[in-house]
Amino acid sequence: MASDSSYASPSSDEEEESAGQKPTVDVNINSIDTSLDAIENQLSSIALNAPIDDGTVSSTDYHEEPVSEIDDGSLRESVSERRRNSIGESSSSRGSGLWRNNLEVGVELEPEGDGAPSSPSSSGYAGERGSSSSAASASDTDVIREIRENGSSMCDDGVVPLDPAQAQWIRGKRHADEDDGSISWRKRKKHFFILSHSGKPIYSRYGDEHKLAGFSATLQAIISFVENGGDRVKLVRAGKHQVVFLVKGPIYLVCISCTEEPYESLRGQLELLYGQMILILTRSVDKCFEKNPKFDMTPLLGGTDAVFSSLIHSFSRNPATFLHAYTCLPLAYTTRQAAGAILQDVADTGVLFAILMCKDKVVSLVGLQKSSLHPDDMLLLANFVMSSESFRTSESFSPICLPRYNPMAFLYAYVHYLDVDTYLTLLTTSSQAFFHLKECRIQIEAVLKKSNVLNEVERSLSDGGMRIED
Amino acid sequence: MGLSSAATTTTPSDLLKFCIFDLRRGQHEGEELEKILFFFPADLPFPAQLSVIGLSEGLITFTRIFSPEAACEVIEADMHSHVFFEAEPDIWMVMVVAKSKETEAIWRIEALRSVLKEIHSLFVMFHGSIRVLLDKEPGGGLTRSHLFTFIMDYLTDFLTGNKFTLPNFRDSLKERGTVQMLTVGREAAIEVQSLVGVLDSCMANTLGYSVILFQDLLVSTTLTPDDTTNLFSYGTLRLTPRILSSGGTSTWSYLRKGNVPSQAELASRSANTLSALDGFRDPSSDNYRIVRPLQHGKWSKGKDGFLVTDIWGVEVGNLVPTTPTLWLQQTEHKMYLCVYQHKSLTIILLIPVTSMLNGEEGISMLKQQLLENASAKIFKVEEKLAKGWGGENAYHVKGYRYLLVDGDRNISRASPPGKVTTLAKESLLALNKVREDFDLEKNRGNVDAVNHEKDLEICIRAKNNAWVIARSTRGKQLYILLEKANETLLYASEAVEKFSDRYCNGAFSLD
Repeated sequence: MASDSSYASPSSDEEEESAGQKPTVDVNINSIDTSLDAIENQLSSIALNAPIDDGTVSSTDYHEEPVSEIDDGSLRESVSERRRNSIGESSSSRGSGLWRNNLEVGVELEPEGDGAPSSPSSSGYAGERGSSSSAASASDTDVIREIRENGSSMCDDGVVPLDPAQAQWIRGKRHADEDDGSISWRKRKKHFFILSHSGKPIYSRYGDEHKLAGFSATLQAIISFVENGGDRVKLVRAGKHQVVFLVKGPIYLVCISCTEEPYESLRGQLELLYGQMILILTRSVDKCFEKNPKFDMTPLLGGTDAVFSSLIHSFSRNPATFLHAYTCLPLAYTTRQAAGAILQDVADTGVLFAILMCKDKVVSLVGLQKSSLHPDDMLLLANFVMSSESFRTSESFSPICLPRYNPMAFLYAYVHYLDVDTYLTLLTTSSQAFFHLKECRIQIEAVLKKSNVLNEVERSLSDGGMRIED
Repeated sequence: MGLSSAATTTTPSDLLKFCIFDLRRGQHEGEELEKILFFFPADLPFPAQLSVIGLSEGLITFTRIFSPEAACEVIEADMHSHVFFEAEPDIWMVMVVAKSKETEAIWRIEALRSVLKEIHSLFVMFHGSIRVLLDKEPGGGLTRSHLFTFIMDYLTDFLTGNKFTLPNFRDSLKERGTVQMLTVGREAAIEVQSLVGVLDSCMANTLGYSVILFQDLLVSTTLTPDDTTNLFSYGTLRLTPRILSSGGTSTWSYLRKGNVPSQAELASRSANTLSALDGFRDPSSDNYRIVRPLQHGKWSKGKDGFLVTDIWGVEVGNLVPTTPTLWLQQTEHKMYLCVYQHKSLTIILLIPVTSMLNGEEGISMLKQQLLENASAKIFKVEEKLAKGWGGENAYHVKGYRYLLVDGDRNISRASPPGKVTTLAKESLLALNKVREDFDLEKNRGNVDAVNHEKDLEICIRAKNNAWVIARSTRGKQLYILLEKANETLLYASEAVEKFSDRYCNGAFSLD
C-alpha cells in the first residue's frame, strides 16, 4: 500500500469547505475542561448544521434524563449544565440525547430485516463472515487522486496523474455544486447514495444532497415499487452501468457504477458504507424512523462527509475493503512484542480493545479476555479516526459504535496521536473512563518511547512495506 | 409467493410474465393501457399489468440518465429477473421470470433475451415490423391481435403440461439464433453446389433464393446470414421431416424428457389460445384475418413433394391454398415461400412477389419446372448426403461435451442433445455460470465480435470435479465441459488444445 503522503495537508479551499461543515476545534490539550470541550465539540461537530426541524424528534425528551453516567462528582453539574446550554445553539443535544438514550437500551440485537447472511447486526464476532466477494481485480479506474479543477470535466475520475506529488487527494466532498441535471454528474464513474425509506437524501458522493431530493425520490420509488410487488430489487444492469441496491431497515443505499466491478463487490462496498454510518450513529436511527418516517438524518451526519469520502476512496486503494482483513505494519518481532506487552497490560485494566495503528496499518491490537475485533470494524474505525482532523490535534474521547461488535450500543474511543501518523485507540464501554484511559495512554507512551517502538514504526512506514531481499 | 413445495400452488403468472409495450403511446393520463401491445398472462388484472409496464418504463428512463447509449438490460431482484429487449425504437419486450434454486428455474439472462430476439425476428419475417403495423392502424387492434396469436403460438412450444419451461441452465450447450450446419465431404459439396445452380435456373430471372436443409441441419443458402437464421429457425420449428412426421412437435420439446405433446394436444392448445384471444381483443378487431405461421400441424407434404398449408388461406372457389409469403429483413421484399421435400432433404425457395407477374399461376409453373428439371439432381444429392450422414451422434466427440459458436457467421455446433443429457446438474450449473460471465464480458466489450482483438479464457472446476473451460478468440467461442477429466488444470487445458486442433483448425489453441 503506497503511503498517502498527500493526505495530511488539505488546501486552504478545503478548510473553508470543511469549516462550513464543522467548527474548527480550538483546544488546549492539558486542561481537563478543554478536554471536555473537545468532547463537546466533537459531538457538536458530528451533529451540527441544520436548524432543528419541526418534524424531527423532539429534543425535550432527552434533557430530562439524569446525567447519571458521568460519575466524577465535581464535574457532573457543570457538564450537565453545559449540555443543557448547548441545546439552544445546536442540535448536538439531540444527537447526544440520542446517544444517551442508547445506553439505557443496552445490548440489544435487532433482527435483520432482509435476511441477508452478511448482516452487520448478527452477533458479530470476527470470522463468521468469510470473504464473500470475489477478489475483484478492479482496475483502478475510479481514481480520486486528481488535481482539483474548477470546471466540470468528464475526465475527472478517469485520469491517473503520473506524478502523485502533483496530485492531491482532496478530502471531503468535491463538486458539491452538481445536481442530477449536470452532465458531469451523470458521467461520474461511481456514485454512492444513502437515502431514507421516505426518499430523503442522506448522503451523496457527488453533488449536494439537498439538490438531489428529486433523484432520491426516484430511487426510493424504484425500491418501494419492487417491494410492493413482494420482491426486493438487487441490481439493474444497462450496458456498462450497474445500479446496486441495498436495503437496511429504513436506510436505502444505492451505488451506480460503470467500473467493471462485480455485483458482489459493489454490494460489499455498500455494506461497508452502511457500517460506517452505524459507527457514527448506531442502529437506533432505525427507531427514529419508526417514530417519524420523515425523520431528517442529515443533521446527525453533518461534518462527516470526509469520513465517507475517504472510505469510498479506500475502496479502490485498500485491499482490506474486499478482503475483510487488515494489514500489519512490518516490524521486528521484539518491537511488536514490546508494543503488545504494554497494550496487554492496559487491556487487563478493563479496556475493551487497545489498538496501536500507524495510518491504516496495525502495529498491535489487544482485546480484553481475548475478545476479537472484526476486520471490518477495524477498517471503519481507522477510517473514522484518520479522516477527522480533530483527532490529530488533541486527545479525544468520542462515542463510536462498532457495527460488527454490537450495532445497537455505543462504545467510547479514546484516541491520541503519538506522532504524525501513529495513533493509539482505546475502546471502552464506560463513558466515564476518560481519565483512566488518559492514564493508560501516558503509561503506554512512556513505554513505547523507552523501547524505541515509535521510531521503529516511523522507520518501517518510510520504508514503505515489505520487500524482497536480493 | 415462493416456489417452495411447502407453499400453495404457484400461479402461472408468477412464473412467467411477458409483455410488449410502446413508449410512444398512452402518454396521457388515463390512457396508460394504450401502451400495452401484448401481455401474458392475458387474464392478469389491468392494474397488475400496468405496474409491470410502469416499473419497466421507469427503469428505462432511469438508466437512460447514466447510460444513454446502452439500454436497460436486466433487473435482478431476489425472486424475479426482468429481461429487457428493445426490439424496435421505443418498442420494448420485457420478460419477467421467477427464480428458484430448488427447481430448475435458473436462467441465463442472455439466453432469455435471445428468445425475445427470436420472437421478434420471426414476427417481423411474417408480419412486418411492429411499428409499421401500428402506423397502419393507430388504434392498435391490428398489432395486438397479430402479436397475441403469434406469440402464443410460439410459446406453445415451451409448454410442458401447464407450465412454460423456458431455456434454462440445462440448455447451456445451445445457442439460440444460430444455424447448425452439415459438414459435407468434397464430392457432396460439389453436388450441392450444382443443385443450387439448377434451382437458380429454375427460378430463372426472378432473383429468388434457396435454402437447403438436410435433416435439421443447413446445407446451403443464398440468403444473407440474418435471413438464413430466420428461415432456418422456422424450418426447424415447423418444416423439417422430423417435425412433420411427429405431428408438429418442435425441436425443443423433442429434446425434453417427459411428455411430448401429441398432435391432438397441440391442436387443442392452439384452439385454446384462440379462445383466450377472444377475451382480450376488442370486437372491432374481429375483422382481422390473422395468418398463423406458427400454428402446429398445419404443414403437410403433398403428393408432388411440395409442402402445402392453408395457413395463408385458400382461394375462394377452388379451395387451393394460397402460397405463403414472408418478408426478408434487409431488403424488406415480400417473397413467396415454396418448400419441397424429398426424404431427409428440404429445399426452401424464396421468390420475390414482384417478379412473379402472374402470381399463383407463376408459382405453379415454377413448381412444375422444378419437378421436371431438378428432381433427378435432388434425389442424387439426398442420396449422397444420406450416405455420408453419421446419424444423430455425428458430431459427438468422445469424452467432451462442447459448444462451438461462430459469431461472425451465426453458426454453432454442439454435442448432440442425447449426449448432453448425461451431464450432471452440477456441471451444467457451472457451465451456466461461466456463460454468464462471458456474456458480461461481451457486453462490456472485452470479448468481442467486432474488433477481433481481445481473447478471453475462463477455466473453472465445479464441485463435482468437472472442468468447464470457455475460450473466445476472433469472434468465435468454444465451451467445453469435461466430466471425467484428470485432476490437473494442465490436463484439462491440453484436452481443449487437442479438441481445438482437431476440430477447430487450431483456432482456440494457445501458442
